[in-house]
Amino acid sequence: IAQHQAIRPRRCPGAGDDDADEMTVFHFLNCAVLTFGPHVVYYSATPLSEYDTIGTSVKAAVVYLGAALVKLVCLATFLKVPDANDSFDPYQELMKILIGFIDVAGLYFALTQLTHRNISQNHKFQAVGLGWAFADSVLHRLAPLWIGARGLEFTWEYIFQGLEANANLVMTLSLAALGSLMWLRKNKPRTLIPIIYACALLLATMPSITSYLRRSLEWQTPKVVGFELFSSLVMAFISWQLFSACQRPM
Amino acid sequence: LAGAPLGSRAAALNHHAAAFPLPAGADLSRSALVAPLLDLPLAFLREYLAEKKHLGGLLILLPRNISAKNVEGNNDDKGEPKNVLAELEKLLMHEEVPFPVYFAFHDDNLDNLLADIRKIASSGQPASASTGGYKLVVPSAEPKKVSSPTISNIQGWLPGSKGEGDAEQLPTIAIVANYDTFGAAPALSVGSDSNGSGAVALLEIARIFSRLYSSPKTRGKFNLLFGLTSGGPYNYNGTSKWLRSFDQRVRESIDYAICLNSVGSWSHDLWMHVSKPPENPYIKQIFEDFSDVSKEMGISVGIKHKKINVSNSRVAWEHEQFSRFRVTALTLSELSTPPEFLESTGGLYDTRESVDVESVMRTVKLVSEILARQIYGLRGRNIDVFADNSSLAISPHYIRSWLDLFSRTPRVAPFLQKNDPFIVALKKELSEHTTDVHVQNDVLDGMFTFYDATKSTLNVYQVASVTFDLLFLLVLGSYLIVLFSFLVITTRVYGPIHFCKHN
Repeated sequence: IAQHQAIRPRRCPGAGDDDADEMTVFHFLNCAVLTFGPHVVYYSATPLSEYDTIGTSVKAAVVYLGAALVKLVCLATFLKVPDANDSFDPYQELMKILIGFIDVAGLYFALTQLTHRNISQNHKFQAVGLGWAFADSVLHRLAPLWIGARGLEFTWEYIFQGLEANANLVMTLSLAALGSLMWLRKNKPRTLIPIIYACALLLATMPSITSYLRRSLEWQTPKVVGFELFSSLVMAFISWQLFSACQRPM
Repeated sequence: LAGAPLGSRAAALNHHAAAFPLPAGADLSRSALVAPLLDLPLAFLREYLAEKKHLGGLLILLPRNISAKNVEGNNDDKGEPKNVLAELEKLLMHEEVPFPVYFAFHDDNLDNLLADIRKIASSGQPASASTGGYKLVVPSAEPKKVSSPTISNIQGWLPGSKGEGDAEQLPTIAIVANYDTFGAAPALSVGSDSNGSGAVALLEIARIFSRLYSSPKTRGKFNLLFGLTSGGPYNYNGTSKWLRSFDQRVRESIDYAICLNSVGSWSHDLWMHVSKPPENPYIKQIFEDFSDVSKEMGISVGIKHKKINVSNSRVAWEHEQFSRFRVTALTLSELSTPPEFLESTGGLYDTRESVDVESVMRTVKLVSEILARQIYGLRGRNIDVFADNSSLAISPHYIRSWLDLFSRTPRVAPFLQKNDPFIVALKKELSEHTTDVHVQNDVLDGMFTFYDATKSTLNVYQVASVTFDLLFLLVLGSYLIVLFSFLVITTRVYGPIHFCKHN
């Protein structure tokens, strides 16, 4: 008996024939490699793997999770439920930025308070940054990826998410580098100190900046991701220069 | 039907979409074909069914306005869509179709989808996993048998007035119409003409006679029995069960029954179908009444005699069920020949546009005047009982609003539950005009088995091809390799040169 139906575009977890299932798992694997691959590559390509700094990275990841929990509690306590007209409330945004600084506090804790084996300062910041960024990607990106990328419908969303993860890695490393400059290195050239603090501040507020771009200026996802990638490279370059500048007088 | 599978046998759909014109060498066994009604060549479909070739699925797009009449309102020139649809339905209902067939109405989304599919197809590659395109998915479970399809017959009486000396039961005249439909797509079978028109005519006749019978002074010496029966397309199974449920004395008191079937789109000619020979005095009398009134109305009523073949289970007209119980009956219809099995049962093409209020009004007037002549003994007198602009005038608004309701409601009996709101509404309406309203529920004969799943949601996904994924993997791989090399070079090779101090 023939039937009648209505059209409604919707996601449907792969209820498909064989080659469709393979295709969507393929896409999931692709996006997963894009999201988490660079972390693995970074670890294995740099001397981090030689000095076996995995312990440091793991500790940093745990600190990240702790900081994320604290942030969650603070957000729930201090922020109001956003109302329907979705306006830009400066007070709320300020609260969000302040709560974002908990991340910085977490990094400080990971860099200074944790006991690391005898690894050099520049390896320390890299290991901490790597562990931190990896935990961030897992927490924020793994679940959506697992659920969504295996779906039948193709979207660019997870590819953008993977690119974001890359940008995030670079920015975290830069922030960790500046952090180690700020808190671990005692004698720095006087003129550079304000620049270091300014760059660190910029990096710390980067999440708020991107959310502002997305919501208020209504930038589309490709544009936002492009901005993140570009700014992460710029900040990385600046941090690198600052870091090497601080090395020279010694 | 009797063990032989008919119609579409599958419901779940999960295939890539394809459309006409098909690219060369297209393998349609893994594709769902999307075709507007008029683009679908029936010969192609017939060939597929005859050669038992595999088709992934079929999605037929129907125009919103199926039975659009042409400008003069001339019903003879039925538009092309109507004919094509009728043929298609016949094909789908009488053959075993091993793939799912869905119907949808044209709208912007579907039109865009079709254009896109055609564009992709025109690039020369058939739709499949390796080239991307659209995928049509209907996540439907295996259709289940409808366990006991019920038929609900609704009846109401207008009792006549017994005089002081009348000991026996008053004679009864029955007006009957079946209200259910059947079509290739049960959720779209609204059957406006077959038999929405008959059922609405019955309701209007009940309404005007209830006005006459409400006052004892104008109550006739006949009982009027109104019956809205179900199970019409299945050899009037419901009518037979309904009659069987009567007490024999009540059945014997029925003088005659007028069955109404498809009275919504005729202009001049109506047919009276009988199973007793026209020479039979009862039939002769009734036909004379019909001729008299029709002449006055300026229309013509012809008589057609079809003998009942008791050994043949096919019951083409409702009156034949009455005749099997030895009750005189006739069917009034615009159809001149008896419909085939599952033909004219209110399928896809029978929409609101295929009936008009005037035809139904003429039918009501004809039947009402004849009944009035019989009941009030007005034969020979030139009296127009239900004249226009009188208090007994036939109401076009009533007819129109009920026709509209019928045309919005698909009424395939196995999918109408006992307590369906529509059946409740019919019962309520009949109770407004008649008394002793009773709904008789019964089970449809075991000869027919119905499967559910009449309505589903179609999900259309835009899928990327495997080549895209491979390409992406390639790019990703090179990116990671470049990253790796960059890091190795900067940290291990140049690293020691720049970062030479440990803390």
